[in-house]
Amino acid sequence: MKSIKKKVAQFLKYGTLLSSFGFIGATLIQIYARFFMASAPSWTEEAARFFFIYAMSFAAGLAMKNGYYVHFDILFNKMNKKQQQIVNILVSVLTLILFGVLTLYALQFVKVGIPEHSPSLGVSMAIAFTSIVIMGLFVSFYACLDLLKKWKR
Amino acid sequence: MIWILVIVFVVCLLFRFPIAFALGLSCLAYLLAKGIPLIVLPMKMYSGIDVFVLLSIPGFILAGNLMNGGGLTEKIISFCNHITGHIRGGLALANIGASMLFAGISGTAISDTASIGSVMIPAMKKEGYDADFSCAITAASSTVGPIIPPSVPMIIAATLSGLSVGRLFLAGAIPGFLLGFGLMIVAYYISVKRKYPTFPKSNIRQILKGFLDTFWSLLMTFIILFGIIGGIFTPTEASIIAVFYAMLVGVFVYKKLNLKNIMVIVLDSMKTSASLMVLIGFANLFGWILITEQLPQIISTEINNFSDNKYVVLLLINLLLILVGTFMETIAALLILFPILLKVAIGVDVDPIHFAVIALLNLMIGLTTPPLGVCLFVSASIGKVSIGQVSKAGLPFLLVSLLVLTIITLFPDLSLFLPRLFMD
Repeated sequence: MKSIKKKVAQFLKYGTLLSSFGFIGATLIQIYARFFMASAPSWTEEAARFFFIYAMSFAAGLAMKNGYYVHFDILFNKMNKKQQQIVNILVSVLTLILFGVLTLYALQFVKVGIPEHSPSLGVSMAIAFTSIVIMGLFVSFYACLDLLKKWKR
Repeated sequence: MIWILVIVFVVCLLFRFPIAFALGLSCLAYLLAKGIPLIVLPMKMYSGIDVFVLLSIPGFILAGNLMNGGGLTEKIISFCNHITGHIRGGLALANIGASMLFAGISGTAISDTASIGSVMIPAMKKEGYDADFSCAITAASSTVGPIIPPSVPMIIAATLSGLSVGRLFLAGAIPGFLLGFGLMIVAYYISVKRKYPTFPKSNIRQILKGFLDTFWSLLMTFIILFGIIGGIFTPTEASIIAVFYAMLVGVFVYKKLNLKNIMVIVLDSMKTSASLMVLIGFANLFGWILITEQLPQIISTEINNFSDNKYVVLLLINLLLILVGTFMETIAALLILFPILLKVAIGVDVDPIHFAVIALLNLMIGLTTPPLGVCLFVSASIGKVSIGQVSKAGLPFLLVSLLVLTIITLFPDLSLFLPRLFMD
């Protein structure tokens, strides 16, 4: 289990880094081309957008792992320990359901994208839509781990 | 059916669900209840974040974090302290000044409270300032940052409404400085009354050194602003130029960045941005449902039935936004309410740029309004004082913020002067 967790974290880390440098690079090419080339390539904006969505999708799982999503504790802090434990488990279960549903229907969304092609790069939109599967799947993965951890406690 | 959406959202918020997930779950409940195909969920998620200008958000966050990697917060505070240190309450004034300069770097109020507060609050306490005052001034001053450009909430407001990011950035400059100087006057008055300490006057060499230390970060703000306003870059391009520039400065000038910590900073910035993008994605679906249910029209009609007087309508909107701002994160509140209220404001002839500044100012004030203002909580936890003490100490600052809000609301030219001057 430990090695799976480590491999998933590594996959998301390098996915985030590569996609981030991808959108930074594509935008820099766009700027360079506008100033120093006779005509700017049309694909840079689309490529930057695709890389950006992938970077956000990879990082969404890591954000879940490291608790980056903002929430409010006001009512929670007034609960006793038992109630807090129940709420924590409820949050994990419902998060898992939400992102599980998102992943499932994102797969359908990918199917819809297969025949469609992006206007500039000409790639299948299924590639771009797969980013939402990645987002849903890995947020679900960390929600599941979170649930197991809380359940054990 | 809209009640399902609202009830599930509020219940989830109260039960410690992350705001983004609360939005998602309420949408899911609504879609299930209405029998709408669930494929809408990934579709709206994707279309919500597939917007080129949104790339500027991770861009600005990353640029700010890279600059901060070079110890920028301490340098800005030190520079401000060199200028104001000899005045009574100089550290309090430096706190506000640092927030105004830091505006260009972070773009969000809560991160300003956390980063400036973690340096300033212990320093102020050590110098004999009351802890509650130190926390209150930190919380209040951090709300100035997102009004002064560049500002992440303003990019989001522009994305939601199709307004020009450059115009919005410019529109926030005068109100932001007005708020900053208003807070400085109150801080000075309280400092004189409580006889807070002064430091020896810095000599010109120290001031110059402080300026040179912060020069590179200030230059970044100017490159961003004038690049956008001058039509040289789009906001997204400006943010990536800022990233490139911050990396160069961090590696070659501040000499604190290397490949290893750049990777860590990139990863951290992307995680922060991703948490915002998940929020934006679900909010896109939430907004779509509100439009399907014709909620903007219903609210608009109700408010117009109550009064068609521009100032009465603005007063109502101000009250609503401050209330929402106290318990909801700025970006979430903006995503849900801004498109609806903009329609209402345009209906009574309020300029959309002017309205965007008013809305943002309101949400910022909400962050420091007791009992739930999020910035109050952050600063109170850094200063280790009770939220009640910070709220009480923050009242004079809250009053001056409300005064500035009233002035900005009544005099649209304060917001519209710079956009007209530079961009018409």
